[in-house]
Amino acid sequence: MKKENLSYIQNLIIKLGDNVCFFGEVFFNILRGRVRVIEVLKQIYEQGLQSVGIVIMVSLASGAVLALQGHVVLSRFGAKEYIASMVALSLVRELSPVFTALIFSGKAGARITAELGSMSVNDQFLATRAMGVDPIEYLIVPRMLGCFLVLPILTVISEVAGIAGGYFIGVYEAKISSVFYLNQTLKSIRIVDFLSGFSKVFFFSVIIGWICAYQGYNTKGGSLGVGKYTTQAVAYSYMLVIIFNAILTKIILSIWG
Amino acid sequence: MIEVKNLSKAFGVQKVLDKISFSVNRGEIFVILGESGVGKSVLLKQLNGLIDPDEGSISIDGVEITSLSEPELLGLRKKIGYLFQEGALYDFMNVYENLSFPLREHTPLKRKEIVDKVKKVLSLVGLEGVESKFPSELSGGMKKRVGLARAIILDSQILFCDEPTSGLDPIRSRDISNLIQNASRKLSCTTVITSHDITNALRIADRIMIIKEGKIAGLGKPSEIKSSPNAFIREFIS
Ligand SMILES: Nc1ncnc2c1ncn2[C@@H]1O[C@H](COP(=O)(O)OP(=O)(O)OP(=O)(O)O)[C@@H](O)[C@H]1O
Ligand SMILES: [Mg+2]
Repeated sequence: MKKENLSYIQNLIIKLGDNVCFFGEVFFNILRGRVRVIEVLKQIYEQGLQSVGIVIMVSLASGAVLALQGHVVLSRFGAKEYIASMVALSLVRELSPVFTALIFSGKAGARITAELGSMSVNDQFLATRAMGVDPIEYLIVPRMLGCFLVLPILTVISEVAGIAGGYFIGVYEAKISSVFYLNQTLKSIRIVDFLSGFSKVFFFSVIIGWICAYQGYNTKGGSLGVGKYTTQAVAYSYMLVIIFNAILTKIILSIWG
Repeated sequence: MIEVKNLSKAFGVQKVLDKISFSVNRGEIFVILGESGVGKSVLLKQLNGLIDPDEGSISIDGVEITSLSEPELLGLRKKIGYLFQEGALYDFMNVYENLSFPLREHTPLKRKEIVDKVKKVLSLVGLEGVESKFPSELSGGMKKRVGLARAIILDSQILFCDEPTSGLDPIRSRDISNLIQNASRKLSCTTVITSHDITNALRIADRIMIIKEGKIAGLGKPSEIKSSPNAFIREFIS
């Protein structure tokens, strides 16, 4: 049957099935140990380097804003000392994982799709297969693994940078002593706080890696197609990161409170 | 050697190939001619399983390839050199890395031997000293020649070339055709070439097949093609 004759729902189911098969193939390769370590390291370097600067800047600014607002709001209740805790907990439990995932899909995710997309429209996947090499193993697995490994690292960097941003405001604007601020920060973050944020990151990295690699691998229609699939990939990963964040937050809160 | 029976391929309602049958003998240079868009590239891609045919069978060395799985096909394709119409070089690798890729993947050669081998094939295609250039810094014809170098670098027993001479000047076309002919003869390599380049096809081919509207319009030795009474063939080769 021709694709145009199928209903929207049928098309969607076919697409989803195709997505699952794609992920399965990647997963199968990883399970069988068909991982090219050098390629993965290259990806970690490229994806990490590309996003780390902007992640640090955005996190510094967000931490600072949290502290500024916290200073005003908490002062009303005479609870200025809690700025450090508020900043740290907001970042670690919620903001850093989500912000980092969104920045990462806009930078590294878009790059993955655009790169793979231009390979697809220039027959480079076909050429890989023609040379007897599996393009999933050689070109897709390293990019997705890179994604899985880089996003958690970036999240930790974001948390540290955000706390640093809050620290400057807390110390120089709210006039809290530096030692007290740092003590307060360390004291208020419990393991569950860290985990309740950090465990989401693994889901986000899978979402972003999966969507961006799939869209790139299936890009058609020349350079026009590369643009189309890339924007699509970023839009889908934004949407799914935000929706999954809501669902995961609900689940995690009911486990860890 | 290569045996194609009742091969059909359609894209949607567009029938590209309609029950085509032919065979290519071992060590033969077999040229497929036809107008642009007639389905030459699609046919060639089916011969090494890059595209699945709708129906029909293709066997290479007695192995029916239409029933092979992709991992089995990957193994088979290691023994087949393939030149893509647009070169299809990796654009994130320079020429040296592109050419050394099949050697690094499929041979135990050491670095020094790989460097020498790359140098050798580059000089065969008339492109000395471009090792460090990236595909985006090459002209269309140069990309094609690097693509050809990559296709012959493993000295495969089977070579598929999709329009090796299109986009090249007449002299370069002749040189590249001679190169393919020499490489093919030296290794008694079974070679299938698609082309528009009638002069060189008539010169180097052992046999020529002409496709028209999804069917075989003519098949035979160059001398037979030249003396064919068929009006379409006469017009096509004139
Ligand atoms: N992936 C595809 N999807 C839909 N149609 C396709 C696809 N690939 C090829 N076609 C169609 O199949 C026909 C044959 O294409 P093919 O590339 O084989 O032509 P060709 O003989 O190699 O032409 P040229 O000499 O210009 O390279 C064309 O009409 C093309 O539109
Ligand atoms: Mg073609």
